[in-house]
Amino acid sequence: MLELIADTASSMHNLGKKLASLLKARDVLYLDGDLGVGKTTLVQGIAQGLNYEGLVTSPTFTIMNIYPTNPEIYHYDFYRLEIEDLDDLGLTDYVEQDGITIIEWPKLDSDLLPEDALIVTISLLDDDYDRARKVVFTAVGERYQPLLEELKD
Amino acid sequence: MDNIKILGIETSCDETAASIVQDGKEILANIINSQIPIHQQFGGVVPEVASRKHIESIAFVVAEAFKEANLEYADIDAVAVTNRPGLIGALLVGLSFAKAFAYALDKPLIAVNHLYGHIYANFLEYEDIKFPAVCLVVSGGHTSLLLMEDATSYEVIGATLDDAAGEAFDKVARFMGLGYPGGPLVQKAAETGQAGLVTLPRVYLDRDDFNFSFSGLKTATMNLWKKLERQGSQNVNDMAAEFQTALVEVLVAKTIKAANKYQVDNILLAGGVAANSKLRDLMAEEARANKLKLYYPSLKLCTDNAAMIAGVAYHDFVNGRFAPLNLNAYPSQMSLLKRPVDIVDNSVDK
Repeated sequence: MLELIADTASSMHNLGKKLASLLKARDVLYLDGDLGVGKTTLVQGIAQGLNYEGLVTSPTFTIMNIYPTNPEIYHYDFYRLEIEDLDDLGLTDYVEQDGITIIEWPKLDSDLLPEDALIVTISLLDDDYDRARKVVFTAVGERYQPLLEELKD
Repeated sequence: MDNIKILGIETSCDETAASIVQDGKEILANIINSQIPIHQQFGGVVPEVASRKHIESIAFVVAEAFKEANLEYADIDAVAVTNRPGLIGALLVGLSFAKAFAYALDKPLIAVNHLYGHIYANFLEYEDIKFPAVCLVVSGGHTSLLLMEDATSYEVIGATLDDAAGEAFDKVARFMGLGYPGGPLVQKAAETGQAGLVTLPRVYLDRDDFNFSFSGLKTATMNLWKKLERQGSQNVNDMAAEFQTALVEVLVAKTIKAANKYQVDNILLAGGVAANSKLRDLMAEEARANKLKLYYPSLKLCTDNAAMIAGVAYHDFVNGRFAPLNLNAYPSQMSLLKRPVDIVDNSVDK
């Protein structure tokens, strides 16, 4: 586990860029945290880190955005879904492709999603949106532990 | 070409809808099977429920459209269907049905982008729209400003960099316990509240561009709401009024600024949030002050419907832009940024 503090939206963005340099095809990230903590901001940093110049917007309504980076990014948002909906969406078709899968509002209890993943939990400090964010990285599976070590440096 | 009747099918999100429109302007039937009551139980659109309900409703809704138009199946000239963007499972229901229908009747299939449908809703109701024009498209999934050279070609001059306006309405409404769908419920609460008693930011970003950001307004709203809770001075109506005003003022200011910069005389509103009365009123006021002509669709055509799909497809029909039967559905909104000009880009499965 690794705990970092992002003082501003810009440092969250930079954290995303740093993370991007460590990610590989088929990596899976789960982004957990309340509304407005900076999940999409982190994804914007990751996409920019992979040289994407287009818009990275919240996929809350579209459920999924694809960014044509190398590797591709599949950016999901399960905010509006119930756990039983995952089965119906064909999401696993993409998770098995050669892209990076990033899921906001993941349904971590679902057995349809890969267990091995980097779980990123973002939270407010003292319940105050004006303050910094706490970002906790949890590695599940062999692939992600070394990634945490690299992220520390 | 005259008396061209097109069946339109729309299943990209909440609504299962079918419509028959003649010559891109005359609505012969417009059937919408609203699923809102089902979604209210869950506090959001639930795609699994949506797909299943679309499957249950589609045949009935299409049959109803023919009944209302008093037409036989063979009387139509083409089948138009929304194939992007939307929830993939939901899109596929309409798309599969449209393909089968077109194949069985031996009629051409036309692929329609949902966003162009929303814009076209204006053309179903007004015949005097002049170009160039600036169009503000605002819905749950989209917030864009377009410069239009004619009814079917657009340049995107600005868009949201994070959350769409309708999404901000929905999330703030849920956070304050107002429920779903957020737009109408915030508007209703705002009617009995007063803007300005609490203060939220107007996020104009760079004042020289036409991009939007509503994520910051959402966060500021939630932050203030939590602080007021701690002080025991929450008033949901005043908060809703201030939130709605903060959001609408930015939409209006940027739209008017775009109209002035590009020297157009006409402004169009489109999408579900165009049903918001505060947006309509403030935009009308500012349009008058700037000597601009404002168009917006009636409430029924602002929200998702199939008349707008059948309407826009007429222009594809006369230009021979037909889709093959292996047409696919695309969930992503990336494809919205430019209108595909030829059939290869618009419809072939890549």
